[in-house]
Amino acid sequence: MRERLTTLLGGRYGILALLAAMVLAAALAIPEFRTPSNIRNVIVQSAPLAILAVGQTVVIVAGLIDLSVGMLIGLIVVITSDVMAGQSVATPLGIAVALGLGAAVGAVNGGLNNLLRIHPLILTFGMLSVLQGAIFVYTDRSVGLTSPEFAWLANGDVAGLPASAILLVAFAALVAGLMYRTRFGSHVHATGGNVEHARRAGIATGRVEFWVFVLSGVSAGIAGILVAGRLGTGYPNAGAGYELDAIVAVVLGGTSLAGGRGSIVGTIAAVFVLGVTSNALNLLEVSSFVQILVKGLIVVGAILLNQPRRTVPA
Amino acid sequence: MKKLLSLCAALALAATVWTPAGAQDETRVMIERQSAEMVDTSAFAHDGPITVGVSAGYLSNSWVVFALQHIRYEASLHDEIEDVLVTDAGFNPAKQVADIEDLISKGVDLLLYWPVDDKAIEAALKKAVDAGIPTINTGGGFVASDGVIASAYIDQWNLGEMVARRLFQDMGGEGKIFAMLPIAGTTAAVDQLAALEAVMEEYPGIELLSAEYGDWNRAKAKQITENLLQRHPQIDGVFSPAGQMSIGVAEAFDEAGRLGEVTMSPGDEYNGWMKWVAQHEQGGAVTFPTRVGQDALRIGLQMLRGEPVRRGTKIPSEYISPGAAGAYAELDRPDDWWASNLPDAWKPE
Amino acid sequence: MSIAETPDRRPLWPRVGRFLERYAIWLVLALLFVVAASLSEAFLRPVYIGNIVRQAAPVGIAAVGVTLVMILGGVDLSVGAVISLTAVLAAIVMNGEVANIPLAIGLCVVTGAAIGGVNGVLVAYNRISPFILTLGMAVVVTGITQIFSGGTARGIVSPGFREFFNFRIGGVLPVLAIALLFIAGLGIWLQRATSFGRSLFLIGSNPMTARLSGLPVERVTIAAYALSGVAGALAGLALLARSGVSSTFAGRGLEFDVLAAVVLGGTTFEGGRGGIGGTIAGVLVLVIAFNLVNILGLNFNAQLIVKGAIIIAASAAYVIVKRQQ
Repeated sequence: MRERLTTLLGGRYGILALLAAMVLAAALAIPEFRTPSNIRNVIVQSAPLAILAVGQTVVIVAGLIDLSVGMLIGLIVVITSDVMAGQSVATPLGIAVALGLGAAVGAVNGGLNNLLRIHPLILTFGMLSVLQGAIFVYTDRSVGLTSPEFAWLANGDVAGLPASAILLVAFAALVAGLMYRTRFGSHVHATGGNVEHARRAGIATGRVEFWVFVLSGVSAGIAGILVAGRLGTGYPNAGAGYELDAIVAVVLGGTSLAGGRGSIVGTIAAVFVLGVTSNALNLLEVSSFVQILVKGLIVVGAILLNQPRRTVPA
Repeated sequence: MKKLLSLCAALALAATVWTPAGAQDETRVMIERQSAEMVDTSAFAHDGPITVGVSAGYLSNSWVVFALQHIRYEASLHDEIEDVLVTDAGFNPAKQVADIEDLISKGVDLLLYWPVDDKAIEAALKKAVDAGIPTINTGGGFVASDGVIASAYIDQWNLGEMVARRLFQDMGGEGKIFAMLPIAGTTAAVDQLAALEAVMEEYPGIELLSAEYGDWNRAKAKQITENLLQRHPQIDGVFSPAGQMSIGVAEAFDEAGRLGEVTMSPGDEYNGWMKWVAQHEQGGAVTFPTRVGQDALRIGLQMLRGEPVRRGTKIPSEYISPGAAGAYAELDRPDDWWASNLPDAWKPE
Repeated sequence: MSIAETPDRRPLWPRVGRFLERYAIWLVLALLFVVAASLSEAFLRPVYIGNIVRQAAPVGIAAVGVTLVMILGGVDLSVGAVISLTAVLAAIVMNGEVANIPLAIGLCVVTGAAIGGVNGVLVAYNRISPFILTLGMAVVVTGITQIFSGGTARGIVSPGFREFFNFRIGGVLPVLAIALLFIAGLGIWLQRATSFGRSLFLIGSNPMTARLSGLPVERVTIAAYALSGVAGALAGLALLARSGVSSTFAGRGLEFDVLAAVVLGGTTFEGGRGGIGGTIAGVLVLVIAFNLVNILGLNFNAQLIVKGAIIIAASAAYVIVKRQQ
């Protein structure tokens, strides 16, 4: 039975099948779910995490991990809101600050990773602490105001579709192209699969890892823009927990923590599985305490069903 | 480098904390005026069964749990209320935005809420109002914005002032104190500190050693106090309006053997603190009533009848002296409990 | 050294290097202590030291269990949630009666073992990453705790429970600190003197070989995770004793402090090396660093920056020392 389920749900199409099944079930069982405005809500609510998780997919495929992205989002939200102070003219500046800050912190992570040679888990965990402290030294309360353009980007529509969804699709397509059609992408896969072999094959693994961290930071920058737009203000703790949700989504989507292979589509599907779950449980008026339990059970269940088929223990 | 870091940290902290006293008074006058305004709610008049939505910014502390029980109790007294839907954002402002959107989808007729962060949900609340759902800020600070029709609030500034005056009187008007405040950035923390500083201007003999943020967390308050005790050989008083944190602070003093030299300020009617006050006969309380939930729901029902309501309704705080604390402490209940008039059936399990 | 080998050009360095590697974290600890004492004489007072060790108790006790799991090559991120659950459970079962204390302790230990056992079974018989699995379990356990507690900190701690653990022997050493040292000692004995401990190292360094040579890999795995669960339960009791708080999120975030301490102490994610001794040193480094930074009057949030910097610096120092060989 378990093998049958695993075959059905395993592989890159497993998580998509799960998502389809859940959406169908929810639409049939919950009348409020199938309204266009609710579907739109779910998409808009999930977009920031989806973008962050796409970045984290690349990181994990490269054999690394980045725990600092959550607090990085928080820092970006705070500084961008403060800098823009609600002015429309400051929008380009806000975007530049968000992306620049994300790339800069990513570069610091990448540089330290090459210099210090400590496990990325420890490095980015330490960075998480540093960033968290930095946010609260900067401010202990909400600061600033995002411009109306940011709010529109996070909440508004373009030709009937949510702007954030279009941004997500564009970013995902870009990253997918990078991963599957460029030499850099194949280097990332090789480094993640076995860093020693990759190095011996002549790949500059240090440089690959550096740019992967930068990409992670940039994805946090884009996600940060959306989160800032959604909140409208620079709330210091805005990014808390995003990093773990992103990692969970990546693993749920079929990417192996051992590195070397992954699925961007799977990751995005997993993010929406989590989003649909949260939405459906709210509409079903399930107690918030039970919701936490259900979320944990889904994570554990999906991991068990979505195992890699390799015989080498992960 | 370390000096530079601490200098920067000190400057940053000072910049966020300092407000000129004059500006504070103006804000308060404006709030008084705005809250007295009457709001025309005829647009929200609603016949038939009512579904009440509650968007909780968090449900992980006992005060809000009690406030929610007050809402449920009040709801049970009105036949026309069919259902009370509750969502929990778990301190995540983005989730609260999503929760409010979901409650709108569910078609609630009235929205009570307490925020994680006021500004973050402004847009979502406006959406609710545009959809014909009146919104009430329950237990937070007074908010004047398009998305909030009315506020049922506890005046944190007033609370802080009452606590500070009591403390300074008990201290004889001079000495060194530190402040234990709730989560940094919340209305409670900002207003309590502002009130403390305003009252301090009348007492030049009082010196504020530092303002700490214990996040309404007893263990954190205790740890912060332990460190403060190491740093400062003399501490004469503690400004701590939140009883939950006051217990942690008092314990730290006790374990360091320095409880005798310090005067504790009034806390609130947190049961654990009431037990401590009854036992040690000092401190007292200025209440932070959880029945604000009931009052908020009653205001909401007025709105649904189309009756005009005040923009802001203050739920008053009362002072409980150390001698009277015994009557309020419930010894057979856990520390994490609040004195209230809830019937037993409605108290949390 | 045989006759055929030429004499070492630098006979001293490799020995020093090995010494450094084994005891690197202790050197860091000693150095940090010296720095701390020179910056504030509080560190020279035995009462304060006793305080520090007591502060370290919850994280330290949990870290003992996690070290065992990590030697095996796994990881246990559910400890924070287990700590919260047992703190709540203990307070509820005690209900203010001294007579209930043994029952409360027993129930917590059994619960910790059960949760650890489930973790162990899932990890042993499936090909999944313990990192994600225990993370998922943490959410499940938090949900259970939340439902149990209904959002408030329930239960009443029995009188005497907290007083006993906070009592200072000779006015200096809190009982809780002794408890930490005792549990650490037990763990070290387990790790060094039993075949269980040996198999942990063997399986961690080469799971294939271990399995082929007949070691009961699944059973050892389950036992290791169960022990981690028990350690988490004891840590929850320690937290309750120290702080009196039995709320749903009492232990939140502690799993990362535990992880930092274990890695600082020399046990790595690859498995097969490290040990509880180093972990305890790692815990002390973290606690002293935190206290030092606080005593110096830094903003509580600036302390987070320093904590992160220390973790990175200490790990880097450890790696550099290793590479000297």
